[in-house]
Amino acid sequence: MDWRQLWEICSAPDNVPIVALIPLLAFYIYLAWRQAHANDQLIGQLEADPALAKTHHRKTWPFKPGWQKEVHVWPFLLRIEFLGAIIVTIILMIWSITLNAPLEEPANPNLTMNPAKAPWYFLGLQEMLVYFDPWIAGVVMPTMIIIGLMVIPYIDTNPLGSGYYTWKQRRFSISTFLFGFVILWVAMIIIGTFIRGPGWQWFWPGQTWDHNRLIYEVNRDLPDEVPRWLGGPITSNWAKGVFGAIVVGGYYLIGGGAVYSLFRRRMAKDFQRMSLLQFSLMAFLWLTMVALPLKMSLRLLWHIKYVWITPWFNI
Amino acid sequence: MADKPTPEQDPITSKSYAAHYMIATVILMATLFWALWDEAWGQRPWKEFQEKWKDRYSAFLNTARSKSTASEKDVEKNPQYVELSAALKTATDNSAVAAKQTRDKLDDASARLLAVQTVFTDRRAYVNALTYEWETSTSPSDKASRQKEIDAYKAELATVEFPDRSKKKLNFQQLEETYNDIRDERTRLSLELGDVLKPATDARTKLDDYVTDHMVDLTPQQIDGLKKKTADWDPKIVQINVAEANIVDRCESCHMGAREPLKITAADMTPRGEKKPDEYARAFVSHPEPELLSIHDPDKFGCSPCHQGNGRATTSVEKAHGNYEHWLWPLFPKENAQAGCQTCHSADMVLVSGDVQFSTINSGKELFRRRGCNGCHRYEGYDREPEDLNNVGQQIKQIESQKIDNLKQTAYLMKQADAAESNEEANALNTRAVDLRVANSKLDGRLQQLDFQSHSLMQDMKKIGPNLKDVRLKLNKNWIPVWLKKPTDFRPTTKMPNFRLNNHQIRAISAFIWQSGFTDTLPKHKLGNAAHGKELFESRGCLACHSIGEGDQMKGGTFAANLTRVGEKANYDYLVRWIHNARERTRPYCPYEKKDIGPEDYAKKGLPYQFDLEHSKCPNDGHELQVQNMTVMPSLRLSPEDAEDIATYLLTQKKQDPSAYPNAAFMDDPALKEEGKKWVRHFGCAGCHEIAGFEEEGRIGTELTFEGSKPIERLDFALSTEPAQRGGKESEPIKDNEDLARLPDGPANKPWYDHKGFFEHKLAEPNVFDQGMVKSETEALRMPNLHLSKNEILSLTTFLLGSQETSLPASYQYKPGDARHDIQEGWWVIQKYNCMACHQIIPGQLTALMGLPQYQDAQEQLPPKLLTEGARVDPEWLRKFLSNPALSTTDTNRNGVRPYLKVRMPTFSFSDNELRKLVRFFQALSQQPMPYIPEQVPVLTAKETDMARSLFSSTAAPCLKCHASGDPNHDKIATAPNFLLAKERLKPDWVERWITDPQAVSPGTSMPSGLFKQQNNQWVFAGPTPPSFNGYTGDHRKLLTDYIFQLTPEEQRRVAASMPRAKAAVQTPSDRRHAALESHAAASGGSR
Repeated sequence: MDWRQLWEICSAPDNVPIVALIPLLAFYIYLAWRQAHANDQLIGQLEADPALAKTHHRKTWPFKPGWQKEVHVWPFLLRIEFLGAIIVTIILMIWSITLNAPLEEPANPNLTMNPAKAPWYFLGLQEMLVYFDPWIAGVVMPTMIIIGLMVIPYIDTNPLGSGYYTWKQRRFSISTFLFGFVILWVAMIIIGTFIRGPGWQWFWPGQTWDHNRLIYEVNRDLPDEVPRWLGGPITSNWAKGVFGAIVVGGYYLIGGGAVYSLFRRRMAKDFQRMSLLQFSLMAFLWLTMVALPLKMSLRLLWHIKYVWITPWFNI
Repeated sequence: MADKPTPEQDPITSKSYAAHYMIATVILMATLFWALWDEAWGQRPWKEFQEKWKDRYSAFLNTARSKSTASEKDVEKNPQYVELSAALKTATDNSAVAAKQTRDKLDDASARLLAVQTVFTDRRAYVNALTYEWETSTSPSDKASRQKEIDAYKAELATVEFPDRSKKKLNFQQLEETYNDIRDERTRLSLELGDVLKPATDARTKLDDYVTDHMVDLTPQQIDGLKKKTADWDPKIVQINVAEANIVDRCESCHMGAREPLKITAADMTPRGEKKPDEYARAFVSHPEPELLSIHDPDKFGCSPCHQGNGRATTSVEKAHGNYEHWLWPLFPKENAQAGCQTCHSADMVLVSGDVQFSTINSGKELFRRRGCNGCHRYEGYDREPEDLNNVGQQIKQIESQKIDNLKQTAYLMKQADAAESNEEANALNTRAVDLRVANSKLDGRLQQLDFQSHSLMQDMKKIGPNLKDVRLKLNKNWIPVWLKKPTDFRPTTKMPNFRLNNHQIRAISAFIWQSGFTDTLPKHKLGNAAHGKELFESRGCLACHSIGEGDQMKGGTFAANLTRVGEKANYDYLVRWIHNARERTRPYCPYEKKDIGPEDYAKKGLPYQFDLEHSKCPNDGHELQVQNMTVMPSLRLSPEDAEDIATYLLTQKKQDPSAYPNAAFMDDPALKEEGKKWVRHFGCAGCHEIAGFEEEGRIGTELTFEGSKPIERLDFALSTEPAQRGGKESEPIKDNEDLARLPDGPANKPWYDHKGFFEHKLAEPNVFDQGMVKSETEALRMPNLHLSKNEILSLTTFLLGSQETSLPASYQYKPGDARHDIQEGWWVIQKYNCMACHQIIPGQLTALMGLPQYQDAQEQLPPKLLTEGARVDPEWLRKFLSNPALSTTDTNRNGVRPYLKVRMPTFSFSDNELRKLVRFFQALSQQPMPYIPEQVPVLTAKETDMARSLFSSTAAPCLKCHASGDPNHDKIATAPNFLLAKERLKPDWVERWITDPQAVSPGTSMPSGLFKQQNNQWVFAGPTPPSFNGYTGDHRKLLTDYIFQLTPEEQRRVAASMPRAKAAVQTPSDRRHAALESHAAASGGSR
């Protein structure tokens, strides 16, 4: 265990926000989870007692006589916000006193740094470059992420859970968010920060980042891996393109079927409210998101480089 | 978590946040104060330094002042001081009344001026503003109205109230005139006051100058000035800003004492009661070499160009010194500080500046050449000859092909002309053909020049190691593999490094070297007299370069090989040839054909097999040949018998018999030869040695010219990267104790991941970074272990650290175009031939010979000091002397100038190029103008000659007693050169200075001082003068000089014959020196 290496990574001014990100993220998920749990209990209580539901105006706890029916923004909200502002000011001041901007030497075109890392908020995208070609990882995927986020209000047909934390009423949305943000985005940032060392090689935390390290790793394309009894390996470019299209198309077809049956059985109400366009858009974006970790594991565990090879893009 | 019971009170309205606010506010306030402190002090640590500086420097100045007062008191006791201060008092008293009157007038004028000025400047400002409006207005009507306004304003009357309450109304013009009048009046009065006070001021200046001149340190007044400056100091950034070089250095914000006029040591700045100087005390010392600062004015050079570090940074010591990851030019460590010199002085081989010692960088630069580093590593400025020669060769080839083209073209044109249709056309073609012929003859001229150049270059080109084409003639065959195993085992001080060869490589290399050597036969010599050889070896000057004896017994110079065991390896006949003339080559080499030329080549052309500097053309193609061995070893012009004697003596130098070496018959195995060739190429043997087939071999190492500015990532620490960054005892990769002892700072402890750490480790054990790596024979590092000492590694590391690509403008590089350039160039030649082993060239420099026991009681047997050589000798004579130190073509077994010296000035056979550099060097070093136009010495009249002769042969100064006169009996015991040489050799003005005070020119000379004394602005002879001098008003010194320059051999013989010499002949040289001094002292008793 190389503690010095670990400390060097964690204490670099660039990485301090990411170190802080890990506990903060856990804490806020816990906080949201607690609130959602309390609300879910309250929802159960109110659903069982229609009389109470009529008088209740407040969240979290059932109304009690003697409580105020409505709470004013001033002072009851603003005092907490102001307290928050003070605490954030303290944090920012201490941060700026103790950690200087991570400036480095003048750029030298003859000597690039190794590993050369993007700013922390882009490390997820940089990590994606390992698994896709730059066209997909750098252009298509970010565009789809942005479009996907913009589209959410139009494909979300569940009217519940707006303005309060709940789990029971929005299981699908919340788990999708947790998967997409925490598992994919944040995890990839953490991989990019702590795991990727010189040569963008995989170093476990505490392993020395040795610039001279050599590893043996050969990645192959899926068409080359088709077993002989299936007619493989596929050699012609044309056949490779067709093969990849079939595999990727098959993934979306089978995946689409699975999402369809999930919605039919588990979220029948939401499904009924959805138009065909809404549902297919949702299913496509959702499957694309899930495809990312699938591709990552193909690469990391089975050394598959690309599935679909065309002269224009590789997936 | 959420199963808590519902609270009774409303949880939102009933909850109080007072405590939260309290705590948050307190923390916020604390943070605020922290931020303020950080802004004022935390980010400005130099403030703390300046506070401490004020305290400590003031305390130091107080003690300095009391000392200074004491010594001022001493000065004040001097009668001269009393006299001067009395004069001051009188002068002040005398001028007091007049001064008071003038001063009163001046005060009055000033007051009136002030009164007018207030009104005038106000009105003028208004007029100027109006004028600007007039100038910028565009319409004529507008201009007219503005003009009217200006005129009206100028005509307006303004009231001026003078100090005496009188009032005057003046318009603008009158106001201006009045103002100017009063100002002129005041200027006049100030001058008047200066005149009145002049005697007093002069007296004051004289007194002050007297005090300053007679005080060792600063005067109390000067110290008071410093005290006031220190006490009034407000903390601020002290910055040197040089825009042209983009230097911004704030170093003096902490290093406040760097430029103080007093010498400040760390002990001076240590607070009372503390034993060790703290961080502050060490920062406040004054610059250790004020002389360097006076040459490199910090206001022009700043600090960082020499010391490096981050001159702009002020936030912490680490930042300012650049000792952090992202600053590429960290401060040079103290012990490597001279690396800074190299960044601008890379063209200098030797750095000298007054008393300042540059031993570290000088020896680093010299070691780089002496240890043959440049055999493998290119370094700008070192070993330029092969590259230049290559260049010249290319040009020759180009011109020759051009000539052939021209000839073809000529023939073609002539043919065309013959077939031409008209006369005009034929003429035009003929003209072109003729032009081409003329062009060819010009090219011939250029070719000749290039041939001269390659002749010189070939002569200048040297190899650090011996010529291996001669191995068969020179060496004991069985010794070679033993030597290659580990050269230091045979000769601990050898320049040959250890290549870590395995047995197989040794066998292959020795077989290749042996089989590719010349097989010519050498003339046989009979054995000589070893005892005489030993005497010659010890007296002729061999020990200036060579050493003999091992360990504590070792004596002699370190420039060339130690000869303690030479008898085990050398072949006698070869040794004789080598000692007689080391430059004598077995076969000449033709770089054009790339082969060694033998007698058969000469025979083919019917030429005699003769090659030397005069016969240096290739019989096959007429190009310049390499006719000398590429060694710096000169010819000592010994007789063949003497050479035999020395060789015989050297053969006795052995620890075991040559026959004791195990038989190495494998060296004749032709199968090994090819493999050996591969290894010879692999290890770059040809970098130092001349080897058959490798004459044009390139360097195998990396270029080091800018090694110091290589990014640290490019220095391959290999498996030591992590440990080096980490530091600690276990980070030291060198395990071998011998190599460990080479590290200047000892085994690693602190992190050493920097250039210094890399260079030091690499030099101590070159293959240290191969450690732990799996490498094949050919992949393993080739750099050999140079078995350097701690100091040598320190010097080389300093040299490499300074080998930087500087960002300073080219004007900061020391590349002078004047005579100083000649000095730069000359040092490279001086060091190349190790001139300083015999001659003292820099004051105080020690020569190798000075350390030898045989010279301890015979200082006059040491070679002459060359401190003022350029001023002393005629440059044309010097050139002749250097090319032939015997000054004779027939009688060469002697010294030309000082035949009485046993040590021999050798013949180096310098090229014309190097002769020119050396002559110019000596002239420039003595600040002599070039070219030199000899001074005309006036012809003496018969009477003057008589008088001069009487001085020359005077018993008080019997010149010929010590100076050689050409009489062999006398010359044996002479200790000074023959006068007959003077005319051609010396410069008359130098001779005058010399005979006045030889000790001042060459300290320790046996020539007596005080022969002349000054009388009525003339130098007259200090001894008794003959009656013929009565009434002579000329300069005796000049007379004698003129006489010497006109001395003829007959005259000298006459004078010598008339002198009693019998007594001198029995004295030893040192006795004689005393005698000369005493007799002279007695003679000049009056002036003593």
